[in-house]
Amino acid sequence: MKRTRDRWRDLTGWLFVSPWLLGFLLFTLYPILASLYYSFCDYRVLSPPKWVGLSNYVALLTDRDYFLPSLGNTLFMLIELPLALVIGLAMALLLNHKIPGIGVFRTIYYLPSVMPVVAVAVLWLWVLNPQYGLLNAILTPVLAPLGLQPPGWLADPAWAKPAFIMMDLWAVGGSVVIYLASLQNVPAHLYEAAEIDGASAWHKTIHITLPMISPVIFYNLVMGVIWTFQYFTQTFIMTQGGPQNATLFYALYLFYNAFRDFRMGYACAMAWILFLLTLIATLIVFRTSARWVYYEGERR
Amino acid sequence: MRISEQVGIAGALSVALSLVGCRRKQERGNAVPLRAWTMWGGDEADAFQVVVDEFNRTHPHIQVHNLAAVEDTKIIRAIVANDPPEIFTLRDPGYLGSLAANGALLCLDDLFRQSGLNEKDYAPGSLSQCRYNGKLYAMIYLQDCFALLWNKDAFLDAGMNPERPPRTLNEMVEYARRLTKRDKNGRILRLGIKPPDPLIIIAAFGGQFVDPKTGMPTADHPRNIEALAWYRTLIEAQGSSEEVNAFEAGFGQEMGINNPFLVGKVAMMIDGQWNPYWFQRYGPKVRYGAAPLPYPDQYPEMKQPTWLGGNIFCIPANCKHPKEAWEFLRWTQTVEAQVLFASTMHGVPNILEVRKERSLREGEPWKRAFAVFMDVANSPNARHFPPTPITGLYQYEIYNAADFVRYGTKTPEQALRDVQRRVTREMLRWKR
Repeated sequence: MKRTRDRWRDLTGWLFVSPWLLGFLLFTLYPILASLYYSFCDYRVLSPPKWVGLSNYVALLTDRDYFLPSLGNTLFMLIELPLALVIGLAMALLLNHKIPGIGVFRTIYYLPSVMPVVAVAVLWLWVLNPQYGLLNAILTPVLAPLGLQPPGWLADPAWAKPAFIMMDLWAVGGSVVIYLASLQNVPAHLYEAAEIDGASAWHKTIHITLPMISPVIFYNLVMGVIWTFQYFTQTFIMTQGGPQNATLFYALYLFYNAFRDFRMGYACAMAWILFLLTLIATLIVFRTSARWVYYEGERR
Repeated sequence: MRISEQVGIAGALSVALSLVGCRRKQERGNAVPLRAWTMWGGDEADAFQVVVDEFNRTHPHIQVHNLAAVEDTKIIRAIVANDPPEIFTLRDPGYLGSLAANGALLCLDDLFRQSGLNEKDYAPGSLSQCRYNGKLYAMIYLQDCFALLWNKDAFLDAGMNPERPPRTLNEMVEYARRLTKRDKNGRILRLGIKPPDPLIIIAAFGGQFVDPKTGMPTADHPRNIEALAWYRTLIEAQGSSEEVNAFEAGFGQEMGINNPFLVGKVAMMIDGQWNPYWFQRYGPKVRYGAAPLPYPDQYPEMKQPTWLGGNIFCIPANCKHPKEAWEFLRWTQTVEAQVLFASTMHGVPNILEVRKERSLREGEPWKRAFAVFMDVANSPNARHFPPTPITGLYQYEIYNAADFVRYGTKTPEQALRDVQRRVTREMLRWKR
């Protein structure tokens, strides 16, 4: 039998973690489980939920007007991941040189990613403005001699998504910093050994740098996939899903269902499908990772 | 530290945490406190505060506390959490139907009758905005209404008579074409008319959103289809959809000196009664006129069409002080409360008699244009979106359909039939 003193100690421990524990149970676990239940209900928020079985899921998967296009729009944004990878990595490699004032450059390139998303969105509304925007002010003199008009960006269904991708790439600094940190961790003796063997800069990058930082690339990729599926703030502020639903992303449509149309059951079903999709996509990345991610100290 | 002390601290911490936020402000005196959550912020919140102060001064047994700039979703959350304010506005009156259909609002019919208010004193389209399924669930405090505004200098610039606005919709297309101005490279410098709200165009055509008998949607009503077809003609008279859209994206804030109408980027626009005051404030040199909206050539009975909105006040069903809350709403319907708010908020009084009030029509120059709006609001062809439980979705669907039609992705029939299919399904879900 435990001594009273130990019991007291246990109790104290539980009491100290209780604020977090209660918070987790009440505000995280309970809502998650409740949303699973609601996803099988017709739930209008203002009146009690009614069980409807799978009909929310069936309605979603056959919705060619909004649900499936919103999923398609979101998947389109995955194009951003390889672009962010290449650009982020290239920038990290450039910022890894030991030249005077490199700290200033690192700060400049990192700056966009510390700005709040809402501020960035409002700023880019100006940059992308088809009439007076900075971007088209640069493009117009270039394209005019060729008889071309610059795109309407957010006003044009075909260019709205690429405009978002461009805007996000501007704030790629967050991942650059992570790449940079891992680049600094690549042991210098590997490069020295390679140089003695006569390896070129290109070979050193391909055969030393990339394998050594592959866990970080992997991390950024997984986070990118999750982040893409949850794409919301930019479109909520900048386009509200238009023009012609071209930027109606998954999370935005979920939000509309829940808070504009009082279809909370439908929205919960969307949330669970989103969870499954994110899970599958992440698992795929994990599965392939065995082939290209190299961990130090790990045996093949 | 001894273990018992640690237990004591941990316990005290959790108790303290759970107690935070449970405090309530105590009221001084015997006045009944009423929380009013309203949508207005900035200057408009100040205007409403004047109204609240006046009420509190003349009704010492009640104290209204206004919380400004409240979002509708916050109110809905408060209702669900069973702690709503005693009075609230709906920024989007489209929520009225869904709240009423779920029994979240106090039915005001009895209170309305008992307090001696008379329906005959009310402007057309004022109380109907507050009714759902024939029952009164809200009280309107000033209306919004839409008319045609035109820039006289733009008319002169295009060689047109600045005192003669378009009278029919076909005429308006012709005007829009002539008033659109381009530079030598073909870029748009000025649009003939700012692309109007498709809902207003549908109303102007005598279109219909809901069958008054069955309450079911009629999105693909023939007049609605005609309206969207005309809408496309209007946009195309000024350029391609992409061009017009790109030009529109460059418009500045309407409430300020960059208002596209004031800086001459649009020659005409269909807009609300708040504009004359804004023009006075942000562009006093601009010469403009206000007139009733043009009507469809083929439907002369639709003369003087207009679109109505309004400030809707509700009392929640589980309100703790319904009598006092109603006393406030009742007071907003008096002549003095209507004049007070109309002169600062620049809304159209919803009590017919008050529209004749001279202080709202005479004095500063902008009031002459404001008077045009007050007259337009009396039109028998004034329409508003009928309160339904699916209004938010329904309007979004119509805007989407107009978007598709504008770009030529769908024909008006196709677009509106898709809307009809989807909103009917949603309406049936609510009737279940």
